[in-house]
Amino acid sequence: MADDIHGALREAIRTILPDVECVLGWGSGPDPLRSAPLFMKSPEDVERFRAGELAVNNLAVFLPEYAGRKVGIVVKGCDSRSVVQLISETLVKREEVVIIGYPCRGVVDVAKIAAAIGLGNEDLEAGLVERAEVNGDTVSVTVRGETKTFPFKDVMAAKCSICRYPNAVLHDVFIGEKAEAREDSYADLEKYEAMSLEERFRFWEKEMERCIRCYACRNACPLCVCRDHCVASSREPHWLSQADSTRDKLFFQLIHATHLAGRCTGCGECARACPVGIPVGLFKRFINRAAGQLFGFQGGLDPEAVSPLQRFLVDEPTIKEKEWK
Amino acid sequence: MRIGVFVCHCGSNIAATVDSAAVAAAARDFDEVVFSTDTMYTCSEPGQTGIIEAIKTHALDGVVVAACSPRMHEPTFRRAVERAGVNRYMVEMANIREHVSWIGKDKEANTNKATELVRMAVEKLRLNRPLFPKTFKATRRVLVIGGGVAGIQTALDCAEAGLEVVMVERESTIGGKMAKLDKTFPTVDCSSCILGPKMVDVAQHPNITLYASAEVEAVSGFVGNFEVTIRKKVTCVDWEKCTGCGLCTEKCPSKKAYNRFDEGVGPTTAINIPFPQAIPKKAVIDKEFCRYFTTGKCGVCAKICPTGAINYEQQEELAQEKVGAIVAATGYDLFDWRAYGEYGAGRYPDVISSLQYERMLSASGPTGGHIKRPSDGKEPKTVVFIQCVGSRDASIGRPYCSGFCCMYTAKQAILTKDHIPDSQSYVFYMDIRAPGKAYDEFTRRAMEEYGAQYVRGRVALIYPKGDKLVVRGTDTLMSSQVEVEADLVVLAAGAEAARNASGLAEKLHISYDTYGFFVEGHPKLRPVETNTAGVFLAGACQGPKDIPSSVAQGSAAAAKVLGLLSKDVLESDPQIAQVTLQRCIGCGKCIRVCPFQAIRETDFRGQRKAEVIEAVCQGCGLCNATCPQGAIQLSHFTDNQVLAEVEALCRC
Ligand SMILES: Cc1cc2nc3c(=O)[nH]c(=O)nc-3n(C[C@H](O)[C@H](O)[C@H](O)COP(=O)(O)OP(=O)(O)OC[C@H]3O[C@@H](n4cnc5c(N)ncnc54)[C@H](O)[C@@H]3O)c2cc1C
Ligand code: SF4
Ligand code: SF4
Ligand code: SF4
Ligand code: SF4
Repeated sequence: MADDIHGALREAIRTILPDVECVLGWGSGPDPLRSAPLFMKSPEDVERFRAGELAVNNLAVFLPEYAGRKVGIVVKGCDSRSVVQLISETLVKREEVVIIGYPCRGVVDVAKIAAAIGLGNEDLEAGLVERAEVNGDTVSVTVRGETKTFPFKDVMAAKCSICRYPNAVLHDVFIGEKAEAREDSYADLEKYEAMSLEERFRFWEKEMERCIRCYACRNACPLCVCRDHCVASSREPHWLSQADSTRDKLFFQLIHATHLAGRCTGCGECARACPVGIPVGLFKRFINRAAGQLFGFQGGLDPEAVSPLQRFLVDEPTIKEKEWK
Repeated sequence: MRIGVFVCHCGSNIAATVDSAAVAAAARDFDEVVFSTDTMYTCSEPGQTGIIEAIKTHALDGVVVAACSPRMHEPTFRRAVERAGVNRYMVEMANIREHVSWIGKDKEANTNKATELVRMAVEKLRLNRPLFPKTFKATRRVLVIGGGVAGIQTALDCAEAGLEVVMVERESTIGGKMAKLDKTFPTVDCSSCILGPKMVDVAQHPNITLYASAEVEAVSGFVGNFEVTIRKKVTCVDWEKCTGCGLCTEKCPSKKAYNRFDEGVGPTTAINIPFPQAIPKKAVIDKEFCRYFTTGKCGVCAKICPTGAINYEQQEELAQEKVGAIVAATGYDLFDWRAYGEYGAGRYPDVISSLQYERMLSASGPTGGHIKRPSDGKEPKTVVFIQCVGSRDASIGRPYCSGFCCMYTAKQAILTKDHIPDSQSYVFYMDIRAPGKAYDEFTRRAMEEYGAQYVRGRVALIYPKGDKLVVRGTDTLMSSQVEVEADLVVLAAGAEAARNASGLAEKLHISYDTYGFFVEGHPKLRPVETNTAGVFLAGACQGPKDIPSSVAQGSAAAAKVLGLLSKDVLESDPQIAQVTLQRCIGCGKCIRVCPFQAIRETDFRGQRKAEVIEAVCQGCGLCNATCPQGAIQLSHFTDNQVLAEVEALCRC
């Protein structure tokens, strides 16, 4: 990402700092490749701020905790949709958040890079990556003194190649020229839909076998606001047993997906957070497409909108029930 | 828990395809079941006694009845266990009739399925808890919406029995369609002579408050305690002052206003009183035609009115009424026959609707009871009636029979002969439907005594020829083409739901069918109830109905209201939503999704939480299904109860 944008972003953050409790952004993480959330309270903190292709996390996940206090947040396009969805659900108040947007050309998929250098995601111990740099269209990573360079598009997150909203859909400040939107035809789902139900079930059973029930997927989701009250760990109601069974694990994914129906903005954090690489985002992709087809609705675009499954209408405008024969 | 299971034979209804004894035997192995048996008719007196005795002998604290639909007999069994001292919510039903015996013939499969359903019911029951209704005070007043003959009947019956009645009618007078009719079948007595006195009674009854030119704007609350907002439309006349003298209508210079009461047969004045017997007899200005509004100058009526009632600046007003029950009696409207291109789609002036013809026949109507062709005012000699216009025609989305058209067409054919003795009537019909008392005799009289020519078949085309209309159709009995040169064609337009009936249904939270007619609680056993407690139906709003049936329903609805409000206190259903405060994170999803606005946000020690307004909750369960962490649970249908049923089923 260009230095002038970084500079302008830092300037914008500094400008709002006096008005807010803190500004959420990114700083360096366990190693140069990975970013970590940065909670900026002072101008010195702002020096450590970085955005761009390595700014992967969706910081909207922290917003509901700040209810009642005013905060700033720096957002990519996808992050901004989470903020919008939270506002539309009254979980975040518009007047309590200052949104700073910038054009996003995509972020890296750390798991893809790890795989390209012949490592598993779980092998990426802190400090292993010595250097990471994005130069125009390439990404260079240095591990154990050896530098490897990849075309950015090869290691870009899958969600970014189909991103329709690379610029913040809602913002108070926007720094830089708007990035170009891409198209999403849900082509990735075709492969799974071609499977028979039986095959699909086997596929998921196999995937879910790896699940360690860490609930990182849930905790990373900015819209999973139940936190400690999640049904996954309650007896009253008792939706899931604590048994180490694949079916219970799969059931949790289905619960997560249905709870996100008509709300999920496709930020991809759930799948990214999974330490064992289960493609849990697919469930939500499937339901997101259905919400679009059925209700003409996508989450996180309009702060005034109410998700179709979060309201009661006698007649859904897109479902002409009375004309059914 | 000590559970008893009773498996019904329902005579042979169940036993023919389900081995009830085997189901009972299998149930003995289920957890906590200490007694099970099969009975011939569980709902019968001995059947219920059997349950009560078993409860006493085996110290049961829960009962599963495997029989018919709970919609049928759940109340029966709840009362039975209550008589034995067990809480009424400690009963579960497994529907092994509608869900099993009636839909499958394979006895072995049916028996297995019945056993599974019983297992589910047992698992659910194990998590049931005694529930207790709360009592609340009911408002002993009733709202009647629609002042047709059905609504009038309801209002009078209720008022006579001592209830206060609020009637809301959207036109400026009550009377509905019946007020527009000349004579009524099958006795051919004068419509306004029999309706008029009832209308006067409505006006004069001390217990009835009438809002005419008004509509229901909003309804909130629940059975026993509805809050109704009534929108009084702008009439530009202060009805407190208007005496109905009619001077204004005599002097109004705008004499070409559309006459709604006369269905457009003959014009009226911009300020008008629909008909001499109107109740209330008050003038209304039609702004579309009033010169004061169209040209800004006039004010004749304001000058002439002896009481100074005219108020061009009048604004809409809202009124509030509290009632305990609501009766919808909004009737029907006529199908717009212009949908039929083959009948001229409204282009030929001498093709008119049956209701327009009624106005022509009426001595107090626009033609003074003379039948005249709209085109040239001549008396027609050949009159063709076409039945089923907009009825029994799936191609225009009206597959149902309107019920009364066969009868009124026969009536109109008879009256035509009375008015014009040298006339000849032809009636094109599909079938004659005259099943009421003295009805078939009546249609026969039209044919035999009054010489009306009945032709069985549909009309394919009407086209003008000189000053006549050629009606071309097929006689399906003779298999021949028929052509009649008619002076006047009367279309028996079918009935459809009253304008915007669906909108009202939504305000009342009642269901309506594809055609907009309101849906009764049960087609046979709850004909005037709806599935919303405290809301009842009367007359043609539930489906096309003639006057005798509408009046009968009007009285039936009144009886239901009187029964309901005979007590000052009503019991609330405890099957409602409840919030577990510790679990609720105050996300507000339940608040947004509740169709009855039964949940509000509260502050609990500084935290945002949801709270159910118990009396308003209808127990629909939407909030329960929406709350992601299950913090709001529907009593008697908690997640755990439903999950237990699913588990039981998956275990089989
Ligand atoms: C041409 C013709 C001839 C007929 N002849 C006979 C006959 O001879 N004998 C016979 O038995 N039957 C006859 N009928 C049938 C008869 O008209 C009906 O049976 C009867 O009118 C039904 O009464 P009702 O009160 O249910 O409905 P309606 O008469 O339709 O009255 C409903 C009332 O509710 C009002 N309303 C509607 N919506 C609202 C609203 N949202 N808010 C407030 N008010 C509202 C309407 O303005 C109306 O006043 C004839 C019908 C037709 C079309
Ligand atoms: S479910 Fe996954 S993709 Fe959807 S909003 Fe949550 S984290 Fe983002
Ligand atoms: S993040 Fe992955 S492993 Fe953890 S609970 Fe979710 S699916 Fe299972
Ligand atoms: S949906 Fe559940 S958690 Fe949210 S406010 Fe309602 S009861 Fe509370
Ligand atoms: S069950 Fe829930 S959604 Fe339904 S009426 Fe009651 S509070 Fe409202």
